[in-house]
Amino acid sequence: MALWTEAADGKRGRAVIDARRLADLAARVLPGLLFCVLLAAAWQVMAVRWNSPLIPGLRDIAEQLVTILRSGDAALQIGTTLARIAGGVAIAFVIALAVGLASARNRFARAFFEPALLLGLTVPGLVWALLCVIWFGLSLKTSVVAIALGVAPALAITIAQGIEAVDAQLIEAAHVYRLNAWARLRYLWLPAILPFLMSGMRLAFSLAWKVVVLVEVFGLSTGVGYALNSAFISQDVAAVLAWTLAFTVVVAAIEYGVFQTIERRVTRWKKKASV
Amino acid sequence: MEEKGLGVSAALRFEHVSKTFVRANGERETVLDDFSLDIAPGELVAVVGSSGIGKSTILHLAAGLEKPDAGRVHFTGCGRPRLGMVFQQPRLFDWLTVADNIAVAVNAARGDIAKARDMLAAVGLARHASAYPLALSGGQRQRVALARAFAIAPDAVLLDEPFSALDELTARKLRLLLQELWLDYAPSGILVTHNTLEAAFLADRIVVLTGRPARIKLVIAVGDARPRNTENSFFFDLHREILATLERSAG
Repeated sequence: MALWTEAADGKRGRAVIDARRLADLAARVLPGLLFCVLLAAAWQVMAVRWNSPLIPGLRDIAEQLVTILRSGDAALQIGTTLARIAGGVAIAFVIALAVGLASARNRFARAFFEPALLLGLTVPGLVWALLCVIWFGLSLKTSVVAIALGVAPALAITIAQGIEAVDAQLIEAAHVYRLNAWARLRYLWLPAILPFLMSGMRLAFSLAWKVVVLVEVFGLSTGVGYALNSAFISQDVAAVLAWTLAFTVVVAAIEYGVFQTIERRVTRWKKKASV
Repeated sequence: MEEKGLGVSAALRFEHVSKTFVRANGERETVLDDFSLDIAPGELVAVVGSSGIGKSTILHLAAGLEKPDAGRVHFTGCGRPRLGMVFQQPRLFDWLTVADNIAVAVNAARGDIAKARDMLAAVGLARHASAYPLALSGGQRQRVALARAFAIAPDAVLLDEPFSALDELTARKLRLLLQELWLDYAPSGILVTHNTLEAAFLADRIVVLTGRPARIKLVIAVGDARPRNTENSFFFDLHREILATLERSAG
């Protein structure tokens, strides 16, 4: 009898937890979904009311989307753009790590890099895109360098802030207990600056996307920017929106599939600590 | 708790140590001037004195967190001493479990991980081994800090007001726990505290600091063998004597 009661309680407990998870998921997803539905409905109302090729209906956009997906063009161009973004962000990360580390740990380095970082933050991505197209022409270098220049300053500042935010008391404890360089990196520095790294990488990807599209519009013959430019030249608004939608879906997949998964894994302790 | 894997208790020596800090406004303040103190192997010396007198500086010098401007701080009786330190706040890595917090220190000291597990049991936290520090109470976190300090089989343990952030009931329990650990591991140590009764109960010798720069005003050998009874009136007499010295010094 006792066993039965325990089993029943266990089942009931699991059911309660499942219901709570479902409610949590619904609370997170439904508002955003509602926004998207309302936006699509508003767009469709506009399209019907104006009946102009400048505001294509949802059906036209969907047809364009299916066309670029079926032809394989979407995969090719989006893949090309993502590869450029990955290359540029990787180089920006290496530079930003060095500059951020130096700025956070050394007063001279901070003063030395400050003008460069301020300049980097204020120069629009368009300027880097134009300069790199002029300097490097039609090559992979153009997009990668433009992205690195556009992204590195913001990333360096985020990394420096993360390093500065590491609790000095924990650094002292690591010193007293004689943790070696590897142990300090693994158990102290990385976990402490990881939230900053994650937000830095998100920022980097969003900035990189804006820069790479400009480079592809101005100087390259592949990529989402090139495809958008082609659609623009032919005044095909449905194609512009279809390409934007396709890329947005990929970016959302990266956000939820990569960034949020990594974040969840590395901050699991917070959830467990709060239970 | 029989096999404790005792560290070779080291003597700790401050020889004519001076330390001056430069404040943010450029003002120089000499905290210690020609300060000397010997701590014998296995001895726990409590340092008491008013706030800002330089008690924590003494600990930081012993831990190597500060360098003396003159004189030297060194350990004798062992090559490179294994140091355990318990701070006012537990200073645990919140992202590591209780067991991993201890294991990281034990690995760094090339200690015995199995003993680290025994240590968790000794401080009454065996069933919290896989918990994260933020899921524990303040007293439990300080137990973990104590376990970390002793799990490395330390030659010396430095205690920087370890129980001052806890309620009195929890602090009493942890003082008794610290006494047990000291009996089992017998490291050398310094206890910095504002609590003169705590100093009297835990220490073998009490050093009372007064003035700026700090001078040793009074040294009291406690002389009572461990384990000690917290209710012993002898500690209250000592407590009153130290307070009277501090009050006289304060004018």
